Amino acid sequence: MVGDAGFWFIQILNSLQMSMLLFLLSVGLSVIFGLLNFVNLAHGSLYALGAFIGYSIAQASGSVWLAFATAPLAVMAIGAVLYYALIDRLRNAGPMNQVLVTFGLIFVFLDGVRFLWGVDPLGVTQGVPFSGRVEIFGQIYPAYRLFIIALGALVYLLLHLLLEHTRIGAEVRAGVDNAEVARCLGINVERSFLLVFLLGCALAGLAGAVAMPTFSATLGMGVSILVPTLVVVVVGGLGSLKGALIGSLLIGSTLTFGQVLVPDFAGIIMYALLVIVLLLRPAGLFPVRS
Amino acid sequence: MLFSKKTYAAAALAAVLAGGPAAAEEYKIGLLLPFSGVYAGLGAHIENGFNLGLEHYGGELGDNTVTLVREDTEAKPAVGLAKARKLVLQDRVDAIVGIVSSAVLGAVRDFAEGSKVPVIVANAGNNDMTGERCSPYIIRVSFSNAQMNRPMGDFMADQGIKKVYLMAPDYAAGHQMMEAFKETFLAKGGEIVGETYTPLHGTKDYGPFISAAKAANPDAIYVFYAGGAAIAFVKQYHDFGVKDEVPLYGAGFLTSPAYVQVQGEAADGITVGLHYVPSIDTPENKTFQDAYQAAHGKTGSEFAVAGYDAARLVVEAIKASGGDKEKFDQELAKVSFNGPRGPLRLDPATNNVVQNIYIFENRFQDGKVEQVVLDTIPDVQDAPNGCSL
Amino acid sequence: MPSRLPGFQPLLTLLTFLGLFLYWLTADFFGYEILAEIAVFAILAMGLDLLAGYAGLVSLAQGALYGVGAYAFAYAAATLAVPAPWAILLAIAVSGLVALVVGAIASGVTGIFFIMITLAIGEMGYEFFFKTPLFGGDDGFFGIPRLDLSAFGIDLMDPASFTLLLLLCVLLVFLALRWLVASPYGVTLIGLHENSHRLRALGLPVRLYKTTAFAVAGMISGFAGALLAQHTSFISPELLHWTTSGEILVILILGGLGTLVGPLIGATVVILLKHQLSAYTDYWSFWLGLFLIAVVLSGRNGIVGALEELCLLALRRGKLRRQGDAAG
Repeated sequence: MVGDAGFWFIQILNSLQMSMLLFLLSVGLSVIFGLLNFVNLAHGSLYALGAFIGYSIAQASGSVWLAFATAPLAVMAIGAVLYYALIDRLRNAGPMNQVLVTFGLIFVFLDGVRFLWGVDPLGVTQGVPFSGRVEIFGQIYPAYRLFIIALGALVYLLLHLLLEHTRIGAEVRAGVDNAEVARCLGINVERSFLLVFLLGCALAGLAGAVAMPTFSATLGMGVSILVPTLVVVVVGGLGSLKGALIGSLLIGSTLTFGQVLVPDFAGIIMYALLVIVLLLRPAGLFPVRS
Repeated sequence: MLFSKKTYAAAALAAVLAGGPAAAEEYKIGLLLPFSGVYAGLGAHIENGFNLGLEHYGGELGDNTVTLVREDTEAKPAVGLAKARKLVLQDRVDAIVGIVSSAVLGAVRDFAEGSKVPVIVANAGNNDMTGERCSPYIIRVSFSNAQMNRPMGDFMADQGIKKVYLMAPDYAAGHQMMEAFKETFLAKGGEIVGETYTPLHGTKDYGPFISAAKAANPDAIYVFYAGGAAIAFVKQYHDFGVKDEVPLYGAGFLTSPAYVQVQGEAADGITVGLHYVPSIDTPENKTFQDAYQAAHGKTGSEFAVAGYDAARLVVEAIKASGGDKEKFDQELAKVSFNGPRGPLRLDPATNNVVQNIYIFENRFQDGKVEQVVLDTIPDVQDAPNGCSL
Repeated sequence: MPSRLPGFQPLLTLLTFLGLFLYWLTADFFGYEILAEIAVFAILAMGLDLLAGYAGLVSLAQGALYGVGAYAFAYAAATLAVPAPWAILLAIAVSGLVALVVGAIASGVTGIFFIMITLAIGEMGYEFFFKTPLFGGDDGFFGIPRLDLSAFGIDLMDPASFTLLLLLCVLLVFLALRWLVASPYGVTLIGLHENSHRLRALGLPVRLYKTTAFAVAGMISGFAGALLAQHTSFISPELLHWTTSGEILVILILGGLGTLVGPLIGATVVILLKHQLSAYTDYWSFWLGLFLIAVVLSGRNGIVGALEELCLLALRRGKLRRQGDAAG
């Protein structure tokens, strides 16, 4: 193995990039869960939709930037349909019904994507922004991954500002803390629910669109990202932005360094971490409600 | 059209030569493939190829007919077995064609042997199925995991490459591919400076592994990845700029014709070995590619070719057995022909396909990837490896 | 879950079992395969019902315990040449023991955390069997023998006989669970689900009950695994994957939680629907998904709940009509 600083710095960057992608996905799911008490297993499917819709937009317009900008909006629109058709109706139906309905959605989306985009993997080969490389400590690193890291950090900052320094954010936080009391205080908690849900969907769509140039759009991508996302949400603690970030960083670095240091156990290291965290902190690391 | 005057004449001639009246038999073939879920892609390719093969060669059947029964394995062993049982016991098929996943093949194998119904494997590559677990009723027309890697070991050693780093997903196929490569590469004095098996169910982020492999200072990196993992790996290898310093080689699925255009520029400069490449310059391949592209709007992949050749295999066996179903099973293993892949025959010692392996380089020109054949290794045959037929 | 229509669930149970046995009598070869699949998943879902429906513990490790049972049977019967009846008992014991350990670990958390910890442990089990050559790794485990009842004149290699045996096993597990949930232990479990704080205040060892419930459900899953191993004579690690556990959960919720007949109906409906749809379209998964959503939107406790509601409505309408007739 290599003992030089450059190699390890690259791995730190790799783990940051993995974390940021996970963050984009988990923050939406975590706040949706924290606020709406709704376990949306179809969140991974929205990620996949973001990738496929992003692909189509990029192919049609020739601009991958446009895909990044509009795919999240498209997924948000689909999210709005889901919200009014299903989510809103089932918010109080109990977790089991929510599990069943979102499982059903997974099947529906999987076949829907297959029907619309076919069975073969898809991806864009031209016009990808940041497709160059940079040199860091004598090592070459893809600029695109730095873009993902920057994007994740930017989203975190924006969400932080939104939650902490705007009225809407305060309403969301109040709703997560105690929806009943918030309602009594005259806060339109229902509107907060919708906003949070739509934002979560948009972020999932953005994650998919942004992942597509480097991972390609494949049929199984939604299901395979679901478990790591759930692990992050649970480890980080439900409903909190900080929890989603710390959780993502923790899981991202575990996956990256685990794969490099102990490749034989790389498959289980994430699960072992979850078990350990939950044994020590049964509600995750930074839950909003304990 | 299926029944040209030429084929009627050929059929009549065949009937006369076979001696006696040729009984018009209906052959039922069970098409056992994943038609749903995330593995539906390969199922679709193989089915398309198979149907095209029947279209092209069905005219040679004479009075015999082939009826297809489609069943979905969902890529699950238990479901695959249940459907296989249905095909054999209820639909009374004469042969089963398909099987993408080696686990499904594992589940079906004993049943096929017990019921004496041949399974023509159009994908599943596990070495053992034509090795330790071979059977007169398992006939593989696709490839074995080892087959395409041995020639690559020779090729790379001959190119003067001394130190190689290996990478593959951590499951049976990954290990079998790498073992086969090592067999020939080490025999020619090469050195393996590192070997990493990546988690099969991971997040397809190969960045950490690529960085680690490069740090071991190999002359070249040899890998096996397939499907979405292959696309991710090739793109990431390109993104990290490692290709400029350490050339990438691999088993052909790494830049499979099925998705190499998605890889685009990232595939440039990668040299692989596979049992089929669309740029093979023969009349048989041209016929296949022209028809496939006309019907499906995309290049015929190695999976489609396996289906196509499986159909041809069935037709040839029906012809050779002269409508005698008893003989059909035996004739399957004796078939040989020139197909899009080149010469193809089955090894009587293992029932595995013996075929050419094409070593080709991917070149990105004018927005498309061209796959240029560098070398053709003929007659690549697996050793029995514990098979006794 | 207390029924709003007394006698409905027992009647439904009777009808379902009768329906399955009738299907068996008239089944063709594929019918036996379908029934076998239904039987195995019914047993799995009933085990999960004890855990999730009655004790309120939603576990995604049932698939893993199913796999443990299957591998335990396979290893004992095929490699160690243990006679099948003992191998089945061994499978049940091993999966029960593993479940006990998993349950002890998992019972410290609740809700979504419980679900995730069971998923995580299950996935570790999956990786273990995937990587361990002793059990065949991802190549799978071949050559698993079947129980031999030829001494009794029964040929279990005949699909009809083996399928009947599986159906009888379903009945056995159903009756055993029926007895268990009505027993003091079962009643306590239900109480745990409804108000664990109160019970804990009363001095009840809540964690012990949860752990033992997990172990019982694990034994049932292990039993199903041993049966499956004999049915297919080949097993591979995907039995332990969380998607298998997910399927069991979907079947249970669809059928109706806390009813014991729900899992049976859920398994029957899902598997029959899947095979029927797949004969018409490769996109059967889409329609199955829509069906799941529709059942949830009906607002009742799965199919059993929906049927119960329909019956109630019909009876009420009948009663009103009779009252109307009497008055008019």
